[in-house]
Amino acid sequence: MILFKLTQNELYKIFSLIRSYIGFILFTGIVPLILWGYGMGTSHIEGQIESSVSDMFFIEGSPTNGFTAAYFIMNFFWIHIPFLLALVGGDIFAGEHANGTFRVYATRPISRLSIFTSKVFATFIYTFIFVFYFGLLTLGLGLIWHGGGDMLVFHNGVLILESSDALARFFIAYFFSFMNMVLVSSIAIFFSTMVRNAVGPVIGTMALFIFILMVSSLPLEVFEGIQPYLFTTYFSNWEQAFYDPIPWDDLFRGLGLVLSNVIMFLGIALIIFRRKDILS
Amino acid sequence: MTESEAATSQPQIQIESNQGNPALACYGISKRFKTIQALDNVSLSVPRGSIFGFLGPNGAGKSTLIRVVAGLIAADEGNFDVLGTSSLSGHRVRRDMSALVDRADFYKNLSAYQNMKILGRITGHDSDEHINRLLDLLGLYERRTDKVKTFSQGMKQRLGLAQSLLPDPKLLVLDEPTTGLDPQGMHEIRDFILKIATEQNVTIFLSSHLLHEVELICSDIALIFNGKLAAQGSMQNIFREIDNVTIELEVEDSKATLTFLEKTDLVSQIIPLANAISIEIHYNQIPELIRRMTAEKINIFSVSQRNRLENYFLSLMEGK
Repeated sequence: MILFKLTQNELYKIFSLIRSYIGFILFTGIVPLILWGYGMGTSHIEGQIESSVSDMFFIEGSPTNGFTAAYFIMNFFWIHIPFLLALVGGDIFAGEHANGTFRVYATRPISRLSIFTSKVFATFIYTFIFVFYFGLLTLGLGLIWHGGGDMLVFHNGVLILESSDALARFFIAYFFSFMNMVLVSSIAIFFSTMVRNAVGPVIGTMALFIFILMVSSLPLEVFEGIQPYLFTTYFSNWEQAFYDPIPWDDLFRGLGLVLSNVIMFLGIALIIFRRKDILS
Repeated sequence: MTESEAATSQPQIQIESNQGNPALACYGISKRFKTIQALDNVSLSVPRGSIFGFLGPNGAGKSTLIRVVAGLIAADEGNFDVLGTSSLSGHRVRRDMSALVDRADFYKNLSAYQNMKILGRITGHDSDEHINRLLDLLGLYERRTDKVKTFSQGMKQRLGLAQSLLPDPKLLVLDEPTTGLDPQGMHEIRDFILKIATEQNVTIFLSSHLLHEVELICSDIALIFNGKLAAQGSMQNIFREIDNVTIELEVEDSKATLTFLEKTDLVSQIIPLANAISIEIHYNQIPELIRRMTAEKINIFSVSQRNRLENYFLSLMEGK
């Protein structure tokens, strides 16, 4: 019960800050813009698709629709969402230190573990809402704007997914993307417990993210040995939800690594937070 | 450290007081920050129902002890009880206490009411009636929907007090609650502390380096120097320990009074001031001096004892 109340408090605090809405405002503006641009460039995209598959298929109707538009947008945004999530996760502990409100909160008859857990829960709920909103906006608005239908996926040839199958695969893709974003939020929380201002954790999270992303994506032999152990290697695993058959083993291997990183970052953060002296 | 062990590490000057069944009892608390020994085996006892002044110069260790009791930092050694619950039981020790450490800070983008609601929710003391009653008690009801960032420092401090009263505490720990306030703000907070202590029946543990402030409102005190407890007891008992005191005499004829004082053997130091005469005298000799002055037909308008606590404080420091 106390955890529920504390989490309620944390969500209340998160959503009372303007910075928590920056991502929502950004997506509300840019997703319709991309969907509009996607519609304007449909004939060009259709031409490219038709020329690449003309020797195999005869396409009746348009190969572009709401599903392909949502897939197109997902490719762009999974690299930018971490920054927006770090704004909230990075502030969750450090912001309270900076404001001095931790002094007030920590003197109440509640354990530090409860405070920590409630902040983690609230950050993950925010992350879920954020990803859900992103999915709803891209897929929902995409389908309304450009309609539904079969979805063409280019992987080892051309895969045609029926409308209902495509929708299910989007849910799978969003789930794995959400778990990746949970890791980003965990890293932000980790940095947030270490410092007393909210800027440091945001920069720290992004610096670590960019560094590991670079190492995991560089096509250099020297890094190949460690790339399977870097979490960013699996940040594009959502694409595998559109393969046929879906490589579940690969997906869950990636998820396992992501979850082990979540546990590691949160575990260290908890140790730091429980031992922390609140002096100022 | 046990209570019996802690008893062996009591301060050099132990003044008898009503120590039975304390609201707060500290047993041999030590805390070190790198090379600085902030607290060195501190044991003290805060009687229930008292307004207890915890005194010491800046850096003496007052805030460190308060932070230990409030759960903000962990002691290296020792433990404490709050109303019979040991700190060894974890955060439950703070079930019946509340603390306002340093200056009050808030979620500035939220209103006074919302700030109260957030903290009240933790302990289940978040009913509208309860929150509004406390805001009213501290004179903030009319401003309850205003964002805290529009509040003056004095109002923030009052809101901090209101927040600390949310869980209906039996012990209220206040760390220099008048710091940063103007004289009017200080006066208001002092009045509220007295009001809370009497109307809410709360024991108050108050740290301050403002001796005059403590002298005005506290019934018991403890003094700390360099992390070590130097004295503790009731204010009454402590003043009995003071030999020479400084008093100010406001008289009709200063010249005649000065001549009289120079002749008398009761006074050790005489300093003429603009509107009064300051003298140093043994505490027990004050009635005799007044009798003699009256016999000499010197019209006395007032006899005021100045800075009793300051004198005591300084004498302890000099003795260190």
